[in-house]
Amino acid sequence: MSGKRPSILNSLGAGKYLFRRPKTIKYPFELKEPAPRYRGFHLNDWDACTGCGNCEDICPNEAIEMVEVPELEEAPEEGRTNLRPQINYGRCCFCGLCVDVCPAGALRLSRDYLHIHFDTDTFTFIPKDQKSAGEKFLPEEEYSVLKANLDHRRQDYEGFSQDLDFSLFRLDRVPMPQVPPEERKLSFIEQVIGYTKEEAKGEAERCLECGLCEDACPAGLNIVDYVGAIYEDDPDESLRQIFKDNPLPSICGRVCMKHCEDACSLGKQGDPVAIRWLKRWTADSIEDYKRSLELTPGEDKGKKVGIVGAGPSGLSLAYFLRLKGYGVTVFDSLPGAGGATRIGPPQYRLPLDAIEKDVNYIASLGVEFRFCTTVGEDVSFEEIRDVYDAAYLAVGNSDPLSTGIENADKAHLALDFLRSNKIGEGVEVGREVVVIGGGNVAMDAAREALRLQHMQHPETSVVTKTVSLEDWDELPATGEEVEEAREEGIQFNPAWGPKKIEVDGDGRVKGLLCTKVKSVFDEDGRFNPSFDEDREKFLEGDTIIEAIGQKPDFSFISEETFGKLEFTERRKVRVNENGMTSLPGVFAGGDIVNTNLDAVTAIADAKVASEGIDCYLSGK
Amino acid sequence: MSSIEEKITANFDGIEVRKIEEGRIEVKTKKEALLSTLNFLKDEGYGHLGLVSCVDRIEEGIFELVYILSRYLVGGEVAVDQASLIVKTEVPRGNPTLVTSVKVFETAEPYERELHEMFGIVFSGHPRLTPLFLERDIDLPPMRKDFDTRKYVEEEFESIPPVED
Amino acid sequence: MEIISEKKKGGSSRELELYFGPQHLGMIGNFSITLNVRGDRIVRAEANPGYLHRGFEKLMEGRSWIQNFPLVCRVNVIEPGSMEMVYSTAVENLAGVKVPPRGKYIRCIYLELSRIASHLFGLWAYSKTLGFETVGGWAMYHRDLILDLFEELTGGRVYNIYIWPGGVRRDLPEGFEERTKDVLHEIGEKVPDYNQTFFENRLFHERARGVGVVSREEAMNTGGTGQVLRATGLEYDIRKVEPYGVYDEIDWDVPTREDGDAYSRIMVVRDEMIESVHAIFKLFDKLPGGPVYNKIPNPFKWNIPEGETYVRLESSRGELGLYLASDGGRKPYRAHFRTPSYPHGLTILEKALAGESISDTGNIMISLYVTAPEIDR
Repeated sequence: MSGKRPSILNSLGAGKYLFRRPKTIKYPFELKEPAPRYRGFHLNDWDACTGCGNCEDICPNEAIEMVEVPELEEAPEEGRTNLRPQINYGRCCFCGLCVDVCPAGALRLSRDYLHIHFDTDTFTFIPKDQKSAGEKFLPEEEYSVLKANLDHRRQDYEGFSQDLDFSLFRLDRVPMPQVPPEERKLSFIEQVIGYTKEEAKGEAERCLECGLCEDACPAGLNIVDYVGAIYEDDPDESLRQIFKDNPLPSICGRVCMKHCEDACSLGKQGDPVAIRWLKRWTADSIEDYKRSLELTPGEDKGKKVGIVGAGPSGLSLAYFLRLKGYGVTVFDSLPGAGGATRIGPPQYRLPLDAIEKDVNYIASLGVEFRFCTTVGEDVSFEEIRDVYDAAYLAVGNSDPLSTGIENADKAHLALDFLRSNKIGEGVEVGREVVVIGGGNVAMDAAREALRLQHMQHPETSVVTKTVSLEDWDELPATGEEVEEAREEGIQFNPAWGPKKIEVDGDGRVKGLLCTKVKSVFDEDGRFNPSFDEDREKFLEGDTIIEAIGQKPDFSFISEETFGKLEFTERRKVRVNENGMTSLPGVFAGGDIVNTNLDAVTAIADAKVASEGIDCYLSGK
Repeated sequence: MSSIEEKITANFDGIEVRKIEEGRIEVKTKKEALLSTLNFLKDEGYGHLGLVSCVDRIEEGIFELVYILSRYLVGGEVAVDQASLIVKTEVPRGNPTLVTSVKVFETAEPYERELHEMFGIVFSGHPRLTPLFLERDIDLPPMRKDFDTRKYVEEEFESIPPVED
Repeated sequence: MEIISEKKKGGSSRELELYFGPQHLGMIGNFSITLNVRGDRIVRAEANPGYLHRGFEKLMEGRSWIQNFPLVCRVNVIEPGSMEMVYSTAVENLAGVKVPPRGKYIRCIYLELSRIASHLFGLWAYSKTLGFETVGGWAMYHRDLILDLFEELTGGRVYNIYIWPGGVRRDLPEGFEERTKDVLHEIGEKVPDYNQTFFENRLFHERARGVGVVSREEAMNTGGTGQVLRATGLEYDIRKVEPYGVYDEIDWDVPTREDGDAYSRIMVVRDEMIESVHAIFKLFDKLPGGPVYNKIPNPFKWNIPEGETYVRLESSRGELGLYLASDGGRKPYRAHFRTPSYPHGLTILEKALAGESISDTGNIMISLYVTAPEIDR
């Protein structure tokens, strides 16, 4: 032991502090301000909150429970539920994980931390914020710390809030490799290249598993599970999950309208998970569906169903019914299956072999296809009703509409144009093409025409334009399609209405005369365009394509039977909850029934009808 | 001077030595050779037993005992960039007995007590294999993988409301 | 103290078994020691932990990697920062996550602030045990100033949950450097008072010198680390021995003392606080720009490859280690903390108490920096 021994009196030096001001504060008359990042009681922006429940899932203490708030409106297609987080402050540890994982950025913490109450039930509480519960947030002069509780809080007292650089999710999608516009517009090469395994896994990893997408999907696919299986390196399981509800992954993986992605909680602040591309990856990465799925047709029930139309709805119904053990025959006037997906989406978006992959699998389950067979000509509808125990109408909208303007007969109809190019001998286009319409079919027609122009008129300058009644913000085509069309150099003339196709002396098309559109919809929101007749515009062009819509063709049904077929006010075939029409034993689905007019809804209709047919035929 | 890896493999048959990451060497030894391995390593300068742990590898039917060894000094000096050894041995879950290492490392005493209590491993020759932390008698040692904490809590403390999974 | 049993040994030298438990005023923390005494001399001591056993390691096996963060910091209330660091580092090792340079510097600044806060807590406990309430009050006040800094930096005062895999949870707020330096200056200005009132006080010297001696050999044989070793003149500090963070990028010293007694250990704590203050200034001087955090994968899908790791670092009390095993899943398969108080409180304390006076029980225990929550876990 070393060192001198200090004095015992040394400690008296501390006595000088007897005469200094104390460092403690006079609580509760004097309050200490919590730091700006303080992690206190929750705040939740009810408008931004989607009720996805990620906060509930991340909470390590199970302090958060999603509770139903009946007065809130549900909107599955936008990804909104009427659930809101309820916090149990007996369990909460104020770690803030819920804040960092909130994809909507709705949940924050405030700097309030005092709750004085005699009733312990008040510790369980559904947080709101100043916007929706302003009366509980008081300005400084009305606030008293002696009354502080969850209903008596400070105004503008935001604490720990989300910082996207530090959030527990990734907002940026793994970019999908695509052929650049300059290259892709020269041929029918498939534009979207598809993810590699690593890219798919990286994208699947972003999924927070909240399941809002599943509520939005018309066919209710197990999206969380099939995306999760991709992350787990198990494409077989992913495919099995998809096939529970959708037997067309290769088709839907390319052209689905992806209602799921509109609902994705990550889409609130960033890019939704690329669910459609992930489905495509699963379909593309599996060579042989049969080996992965290990599905066999159900035990033969001795009954058979005739399906009119081999589009997505008819194909899906054939698949569902084969699994249940029914015999299935599908009639279609086209030489192959796919229906609208076969003739509509051009090769660069949906190549035929992608369709064949799905179709071949369904055929392998023992479905009988009768192609090039037009119901109403080669076989009558009444005969089908007689021979088969049930019939399914899935004929789609196959009859293109024309504008009916002067010289409209000089124009091509989009559906015929697309069909001829995809499965026919092809169409010759001029150097200046005008497409009438602003929907997805119009985009397809315009972009296809552009490719044909480049192929048929190489080394010369070509022009493709579209003209639509709707203005930019009203265009019915998806933003993606419009953006890609513009990238390829297609010119848009929104808010112009076609008036007349001008022809020269030899009857050759010179161009399209248009008038300015004042408004497309009337005050009641109905389609009723009005024009400013004084403002005209002439669009030069030697080829004009009309792409303003299509309607169903029921001419194959005899007048007597047709008279018994009921329709809704929107001219859709009326079906009951089992998918059956007003004709006994006749079921219907797809574009003639629903207003979504897309493949995934057609599949959903088929699923309903398959259950309905099963009940009908088994006498339940 | 040969490395510690070489020395271990030269001195023991059937011992597995593997570098698992920078500064961490895994040594897998048979349960019978554990004491002689620990003694050897202590003589080689690995005199600091940091931790004795156990992992319940229930699917393989074994308990994996883990001894973390490092050096205080190298050649009488505090040396930088020391490597730690992770010595592992396994005992069957059905008969979890092992000879105590307290005679080699005094530090092992409380650790082995804890593992006895939490995993039910019997260390023969241990001076006091009495409970260390737990108040109640629990039939199944609680750190075993087949011990269901939630079930135990629900049965033992009825007043705590069960929480859904 | 409660007399549990009396053993007649004949004459006046009766041996009593006394229970020095958590309800005793001289005990800091939920811990107890059974003392066998003859007269006022301790013959034999037996440490009894278990009052704070919360089963954290078992609970960790049921929670995802990220969900464990609010849990691990609670293993030790004295210094949660080092707990976050050891778990983060282990997860980073297993998952192969890298930390950006600025993140490493901020981590070290935060860890050194945690060390000072922890030492001030320890000083409060120790001075209170010896009856220096005034010094204890000062230490608590100064600790509070650091907790204010934590609140500003992390949003929490004690359980900060600030170090994550990939870096830290938020960047430094504006003006944080100046305010930190102000606080450190304020504490530094008080060092002469601390010295005069406590460290250079005859009463402290009389109570602490030659008490609870743990020799270097004894310490090395029983798993001693931290102040226990450094008080015997050995410059053993994991920050030097196996540098982590950026401790090898700045210049700092390992304070030591020679005698291995309570006095030496407390003086090492004092010197370490001063060294940490200097280190923080140096860290701020070299603090680089850039990001502080590399995003980790989605917590709901984060599978960490199968493997094991052992991570150790120098906490305020000695070697803090974590053996962490993953089976490739979303949760730890096994986590086992090697806490410094474990050997200090269960092995070394029992030995150090033998032969000492009853009245030095708390004195010796706190000088060994025995922190009950991290023994029990």
